[in-house]
Amino acid sequence: MLRRVFAVADTCFLIDWARFRRRDLLFRLFKTVFVPEDVLNEVRSEGTIAWISSALSRDYLALYTPSQDEVNEARQLIEESRLRPQIPSVDLPETICLVIGRRRGYVVLTENRGALLIPRYVSKYSGVTVWRSLEVILAAILEGVIKVDCSRPDEVFNEYSRDTLHIFPTKALSKAVEEVRRKCLGK
Amino acid sequence: MSLGCVLSEEEARELRRRLADWGFINKQPPRIREALKYYVEKGDLYVAARIAGLTVEEFNELRVRAGIPNVA
Amino acid sequence: MLGEVEPQITEEEREARELRRRLADWGFINKQPPRIREALKYYVEKGDIRRAARLAGLTIEEFRELLRNAKIPVIV
Repeated sequence: MLRRVFAVADTCFLIDWARFRRRDLLFRLFKTVFVPEDVLNEVRSEGTIAWISSALSRDYLALYTPSQDEVNEARQLIEESRLRPQIPSVDLPETICLVIGRRRGYVVLTENRGALLIPRYVSKYSGVTVWRSLEVILAAILEGVIKVDCSRPDEVFNEYSRDTLHIFPTKALSKAVEEVRRKCLGK
Repeated sequence: MSLGCVLSEEEARELRRRLADWGFINKQPPRIREALKYYVEKGDLYVAARIAGLTVEEFNELRVRAGIPNVA
Repeated sequence: MLGEVEPQITEEEREARELRRRLADWGFINKQPPRIREALKYYVEKGDIRRAARLAGLTIEEFRELLRNAKIPVIV
């Protein structure tokens, strides 16, 4: 798997990820994870804010102030997504992340289904890499950031689900677990 | 004309930690508290203001009330 | 290419909706004030958190916490 240097995280990702017992593994996968200001504005709970501000002070997270140009593109993307009924709602925090992902090549971290689908339906964003927590956990396992118990290749994914009340779709989870099994077999 | 004596980042952080009114800081609502703690560690007014959800000016006033020096 | 992608999305969405319906705490949901109740029901059916949060008049983080209280999983 390619080593990615930077990521940009949206609200949906952060508010769940902050509850994960292994949340700091994120900072071993990426040099810096950027948090757009609009995303930070949406975070209110004590636990999440405490984790974010601690990570900001350790330079694992960094605040991203989008340019007016980026904001304009993000607003246009919202409009475009509204023209496609297959895409669930996205708001400025998600579309700003996608714009940053497109312009700067950062991995976009999101749990918003609309944001996940945009690269499939809006060709301008087809090159943007979008990861859910599933892909983040898988990358952490494959890159050795997490030591996995090969007799229970799905355990870390289950931990995440328990900590956050987030379920991974069956097919996607099966594929991820299969990749973990292959790593365990040394393939 | 340079007056010399520029504090290192570590010295600045130590000064902010030492002089901050932790009683005041710990009584604040979560977002404000975390923003003040962040400011003590990093000295970055803009980011601290964003964490607090305040303007830079509003946060600066808060910083003063919290006894945290702006160490240039 | 689009034709190949869409059935998988629909099947995935169907599976997700069934799971949300099955796992939701309907006792909790039905005790909520109308706006919150309808927003939760909307979310169970559609899985669109932004729209549901707006319907509820809550921030996305508040709505996410509500989903946990209602035992409704996010399935992504």
